[in-house]
Amino acid sequence: MLLKIAWRNIWRSKTRSFVVILSIAMGVWALAFILSFSLGMTYSYIENAIRDQWSHLQVHHPGFSEDKLVKYYISNADEVLDSLAGMPEVQAVTPRTIVSGMVSSSRGASGVEVVGVDPELETAVTHLESEIVEGGYFSQKRKSEIILSRRTAERLKVGLRNRVVVTFQNLDGTITSVAFRVVGLFSTGNMLFDEGRVFVKRKTLQSHLMSSENPSENPGEFIHEIAIFLHNTDELLPVKKRLQASFGNLQVQDYRELSPDIELYESQIQLSNTIMITIFMLALIFGIVNTMLMAVLERYRELGMLMAIGMNKPKVFAMVVLETLFLGMVAAPLGLGLGWLTVFLLKDNGIDLSAFAKGMERFGLDTVVYPLLSTELYLQIAVAVFVTALLASLYPALKAIRLRPVEALQKV
Amino acid sequence: MPIIEAHGLTKTYNPDKVPVHALRGVDLTVEKGEFTAIIGPSGSGKTTLLNIIGGLDRPTEGKIRVDGIDLSTLTDNQLIDFRQKNIGFVFQSYNLIPVLNVAENTEFVMLLQKRPKPERERRVEELLKAVGLEDKMDKRPSELSGGQQQRVAVARALAPKPSFILADEPTANLDSKSAFNLLDIMEQLNREEGITFIFSTHDSRVIERARRVLSLVDGEIAKDERR
Ligand SMILES: Nc1ncnc2c1ncn2[C@@H]1O[C@H](COP(=O)(O)OP(=O)(O)OP(=O)(O)O)[C@@H](O)[C@H]1O
Ligand SMILES: [Mg+2]
Repeated sequence: MLLKIAWRNIWRSKTRSFVVILSIAMGVWALAFILSFSLGMTYSYIENAIRDQWSHLQVHHPGFSEDKLVKYYISNADEVLDSLAGMPEVQAVTPRTIVSGMVSSSRGASGVEVVGVDPELETAVTHLESEIVEGGYFSQKRKSEIILSRRTAERLKVGLRNRVVVTFQNLDGTITSVAFRVVGLFSTGNMLFDEGRVFVKRKTLQSHLMSSENPSENPGEFIHEIAIFLHNTDELLPVKKRLQASFGNLQVQDYRELSPDIELYESQIQLSNTIMITIFMLALIFGIVNTMLMAVLERYRELGMLMAIGMNKPKVFAMVVLETLFLGMVAAPLGLGLGWLTVFLLKDNGIDLSAFAKGMERFGLDTVVYPLLSTELYLQIAVAVFVTALLASLYPALKAIRLRPVEALQKV
Repeated sequence: MPIIEAHGLTKTYNPDKVPVHALRGVDLTVEKGEFTAIIGPSGSGKTTLLNIIGGLDRPTEGKIRVDGIDLSTLTDNQLIDFRQKNIGFVFQSYNLIPVLNVAENTEFVMLLQKRPKPERERRVEELLKAVGLEDKMDKRPSELSGGQQQRVAVARALAPKPSFILADEPTANLDSKSAFNLLDIMEQLNREEGITFIFSTHDSRVIERARRVLSLVDGEIAKDERR
């Protein structure tokens, strides 16, 4: 009965209810759109970072993340690779030999991480090959080939087929310089990543790392990093747990741990979403309070009559609260529907921000954003509307139960 | 036992500024089955007295017992429940809930009391027949005339079988035909079912129908006639 009365009361003042419903719906729409936009951005940022830089998981010697020294290689890399080969969740795996060094030309020098990769395995994990924008990928025959980022090449003022010298320390600590020929230039869209890395063939790099003073200490392979790409990001945790259990002597990290900026980015986005939702709620609260106060004041005499004939305060209070919630319950699906429609329409083409945001690429953000709406977002927004309506209803409801029936009935 | 006993009721509005003595010591007893009119010039305190009897307002001084219960012992919230259970109200206007139809309005208080559905339905039918509106069950109040609305209000007030019905100028907004019609129904319910009515009025033609007439003048009972 209370539900029926509350529901019908909404439609007594149709224009007023429509206005408030429409404004809530518009707010929800805007909010859904903004949140889906930031979700889309986060999602693509993370997927890009996984694909281009971190893969899902990486295995290292525990010392390696502190100090990228040659001696921190994975001594039982074979076992790790074997074990990964048996996991169905794993899509691709690549071993890497890594050393800190410097790449220089006659015109400049740059401190980099020299990454030795297995040309074929690497391309299945990071798509390095597909990120080459000039020249080509490693060839079969030549040993001393290097792939630089386009930015590094610009800094060193070198082009394709030019020579660069890479300098690093081998296992003995002896400074070694090796000449490489530039075969390709890559660009991932992430400036920090691009500037910090050069790629060479793993076998070549490895041969220069071997100790000449104590040849007996040389391992068969210098594998410093094993990067693992999964079929599905959801499978990350179980695979990580299994690896940690089998290889207690190694450090297994996922992309979040590897890339502090992803976590930072995610928490920033979460914060800005919270701020958006709060602003949205505040803006709506005033509109709703105003509408409901009008509705209560307009019905002062009727409310007085209801209390006179025996409708108690909790019921009157509930009636006003329900009315407000109904307004929200009509408006929220409307706004969410519009939000869904907008996201659906933008699904194929996305929103091209290249005109507005020149700097985005530097941080690994795509300039085309594909908004995403998740169930979680829908729920968040629905809850926000519910809470807003509930909060907004309290004052008018309080106003309603504070009235004294005798006075209300005498009002003309 | 009388259903209403009042002793030395006074009511003073604005006691600090410009005091208005709406009631100046009213003693009153109402027995079951009465059909009583409270009359008096405008401002004589009729509404004030009815509000105090109905537990809508509290006297400044004096005692009021309804069904043996001293109303001053009840809190505001308990008074709401007390009114719901014991008293039927008919006001001058704005009696009905506009978003409910006639049948729903009639059963409203019974719903608040959580009476079972079959009982409610039976009672609604019975009462709407008694007030001659059985063919208007599905109509909203706005589709009824003023007199019809007042008849629904009487039906609504009667539905939970209260000990008495208070009506403050129930005919004030009605033309004389509708007023007589409403009076007929009230009289009939009083005569045939023993329902106690206490109503205030200005209307001399209505006064003639009452069996007891209390005349208020300046907040005091000037005359108490029984006929
Ligand atoms: N809330 C109030 N505050 C101050 N004075 C009031 C209030 N209600 C009533 N009064 C005064 O109390 C006196 C009695 O009023 P009451 O409404 O009981 O008279 P009444 O007999 O019902 O009059 P009417 O026939 O016009 O309805 C009047 O002088 C009125 O002005
Ligand atoms: Mg009056």
